[in-house]
Amino acid sequence: METINKYTASFGASLAITSILSAVLVVIKELSEDKILAFMKNLTGHHWATHGLFIVLAFVLIGFGLAKSNNGQGLNIAPGRLITFIVCAVVLSGLIIAGFYLLAG
Amino acid sequence: MTEVILMAHVLFGMLCIIAAVWLFVDVLNANEGNQGRIKTMSIAVAVLMWLAYLIGGYWYLVFYAADKAVILKGPWPFAHKFFMEMKEHVVIMLLLLTTFLPIAASNNLGRNKAARKLMLWVVGLVVLIGLAMDGSGAIISIGTKAGLMKG
Repeated sequence: METINKYTASFGASLAITSILSAVLVVIKELSEDKILAFMKNLTGHHWATHGLFIVLAFVLIGFGLAKSNNGQGLNIAPGRLITFIVCAVVLSGLIIAGFYLLAG
Repeated sequence: MTEVILMAHVLFGMLCIIAAVWLFVDVLNANEGNQGRIKTMSIAVAVLMWLAYLIGGYWYLVFYAADKAVILKGPWPFAHKFFMEMKEHVVIMLLLLTTFLPIAASNNLGRNKAARKLMLWVVGLVVLIGLAMDGSGAIISIGTKAGLMKG
């Protein structure tokens, strides 16, 4: 079976995880304007800037974390499964975000 | 000056989509000969996306409040309530997808069919989401224009 290198597998999985995380964070912060949104705004001056920084940081940390897992061999995932994971996560995240603002707007 | 910033955001966004289409075609025909160009183009897509994101982000944080007020009082409030709100968050996924491209391109795509398939899916998502972001930006612009014409 063809394999992909450990950074591709690890950062691919991180991409899928952080996409979902970002979509969930959108819903949480918008439903908690007084607490979560206000907290995020206080950190950088704007909730969106905090959101972006948090997600990019999570992507990097989760990616390197997964790359060091499995005794340094990285995440063990079949390329086909990784593709399914990424595509489903990105589409689902987009639907969560678009759906939320469609209903909220 | 604000118009130049906004136009630079659109310019880099469009260049990112064009570079991604180029990359898609190159990956479809991946071989030992174009491996170097695939790596270069994947970095180019990521850099162009980061430029579009940072410039657009600066404009959004510093100048967008005035436009937002105009849009919300105009005939197209959904240009902000749906399209801008959706765009500003979906674009973060686009940033992650493009940042992942140089990592995925580090595999030998000429020999590795699985890695090639992964690249094609990710680049395909970049192009589709990029076009959706571009269209959303156009609707936001028209929302502002409609608001100004009404006032």
